[in-house]
Amino acid sequence: MAANESAPRAQEGTGVTPLSGVGSAVWYDPNADLELGEPPAAEAVDPDAERERFEDARDRARAELERERERTAERVGEDEAAVFDAHKQFVDDPQIIDGVEAAVDDGLPAEHAVDAAFEDPIAQFEGMDGRMAERADDLRDVRDRLLRLLTDADRVDLASLSTGSILLAERLTPSDTAQLDSERVAGFATIEGGRTSHAAIFARSLGIPAVVGVGEDLESIDDGADVLVDGEDGAVIADPTPDQRERAAAGRDVEIREEPVATADGRSVEVAANVGTLAELEGAVAQGADGIGLFRTEFLFLDREAPPDEDEQFEVYREALAAFPEGRVVVRTLDVGGDKPIPYLETPDADNPFLGQRGIRRSLGPDADLFETQLRALLRAAAAESGTLSVMFPMVATVPELEAALETVADVAADLESEGIEHERPELGVMIETPSAAFIADELAERVDFLSIGTNDLTQYVMAAARENERVADLRDPCEPAVLRAIERTVAAADAGDAWVGMCGEMAGDPDLAPLLVGLGLDELSMSAVTIPEVKAAIADLETDTAEALANRATDAATRTTVYEHVNTTTDQ
Amino acid sequence: MERTVTVVPEDGLHARPAAKFVETANEFDADVRVAPVDGDDPVDAASMLAVTSLGVASGEDVRLIAEGDDAEAALDDLEELLTTPETESAAESSSGT
Repeated sequence: MAANESAPRAQEGTGVTPLSGVGSAVWYDPNADLELGEPPAAEAVDPDAERERFEDARDRARAELERERERTAERVGEDEAAVFDAHKQFVDDPQIIDGVEAAVDDGLPAEHAVDAAFEDPIAQFEGMDGRMAERADDLRDVRDRLLRLLTDADRVDLASLSTGSILLAERLTPSDTAQLDSERVAGFATIEGGRTSHAAIFARSLGIPAVVGVGEDLESIDDGADVLVDGEDGAVIADPTPDQRERAAAGRDVEIREEPVATADGRSVEVAANVGTLAELEGAVAQGADGIGLFRTEFLFLDREAPPDEDEQFEVYREALAAFPEGRVVVRTLDVGGDKPIPYLETPDADNPFLGQRGIRRSLGPDADLFETQLRALLRAAAAESGTLSVMFPMVATVPELEAALETVADVAADLESEGIEHERPELGVMIETPSAAFIADELAERVDFLSIGTNDLTQYVMAAARENERVADLRDPCEPAVLRAIERTVAAADAGDAWVGMCGEMAGDPDLAPLLVGLGLDELSMSAVTIPEVKAAIADLETDTAEALANRATDAATRTTVYEHVNTTTDQ
Repeated sequence: MERTVTVVPEDGLHARPAAKFVETANEFDADVRVAPVDGDDPVDAASMLAVTSLGVASGEDVRLIAEGDDAEAALDDLEELLTTPETESAAESSSGT
């Protein structure tokens, strides 16, 4: 037989995670049990009772949405959780309620009334384009939730799929994806959806292999078939060959290394994870992180009426530290800007909040009390566990700012000492995010234990290209010579000032750039947990000499194009 | 009582900003309606469906019309909400580095 017949044809879609999974296909049709059938005769319907059933379904829908909101906020983030707020508003929408009640009064049971009341709005949104059409999905999701509650249809329990399932579906709604358990689901593929769909964002956050937007060909795969989902290449393969299967089973061709890694010639590089919630710690450990290189603390402060007190924060920092008994956890002090919706903070509007009062500028100003409380909790946590706690300050632009922050640490330590409370001075560091900090990195390095380069902000500020502006997205590349030279300068300053130097932006998690970054002399790279195995593997393959030669060529380059040429030449060798 | 406001959040009157807008409108006794400034009839600001269907984008003006005892307070709160940059860009700045 010809070779092309023995290798099963791959269906192509958009890969959304750099992960592969093999498993047994499970088609998910959430509406299979929602067929309503013909309504009974109007005389047989008691409108009052039906109104009550509808009220009851709305109550339960609200409670479910609240739970899913919390679960999503914890596992994925506030942005993705917000969709459930919109759904709650649809549940309480006066137009929908009026529509349902009118239909009930006309003699329809509540479920048929709900179905009818949503029909026109869904059609209306479907007829619009782009993002408006996505609202139709939201409405369908809300309608189906109400119908399920009204008909007592079993919810297909995505949370209890058998281990090793590959979920196949037309689309996955936010409610669906909120239930997925990354331990059980080996992957999913959907007919519809794009890179920025809810399902894609969840998959990335939870580390689930996923391909979306495959098209209707996906329906050719039967329930129970063996399926490979390759989230890196965006391919779905039914009945994969043993060879294909083996490669997928190896995760993504890369083993997870729990031990710290060094280059082939023995230079150690710490590989750590960026996390924004406690829930992400587990994933960081599972991917073989040596520690946490960026622990964002904003999640502690958002979406509440009052700031967390010292004890609450202490417990959170202690828990993070406990996850890495022999490692290091680098905590960034509160980084909020003028555009943060924190109800208990005065955050005046600013024309350009990214150039406004954010990070340390607030901690030394209007948020001085919060800063002090956070530092007290951090100093106490540093003494409570065996791992190394490090604390870094965001958005520092001047030496006096850093000195004021260090002085606050000293004051807090003195207070704790006189109160007889157990504490320890953590490692202290500065984030290099502003061009100013990169220029005076030598002055900063002399005063602290470490520097950590935040390449996302550093790139936006060095290139004067706002992070949220798509029109200048092309300029926002950390391989621009100007950014590389800022990094080179920072590393040299750290070495001279006897400080270690790390990096905690997107750049650090790109395995293709690992040779360049090791060559530049970074001691630590911190990234989304999911890319840690690749980066560790890339470092282990590396000769320091080759890496340094690459870094020299790259920092001498006049254009980004030349930088990439050098990077690709080294990677291909 | 009536006011014209430019919508600042990047998402316009969709998704989260819309949910917040509707939630806020519901907090007041006043009857609040909203309309794109050029044309279309005002719709019920307390209806997610109605507000979303306007399709108002960032940078566009809307008319807010409120009637009732706390109409002024309602307009104040809604105006503040519509003129505050959305939290998504904020969340991004904090989640970034």
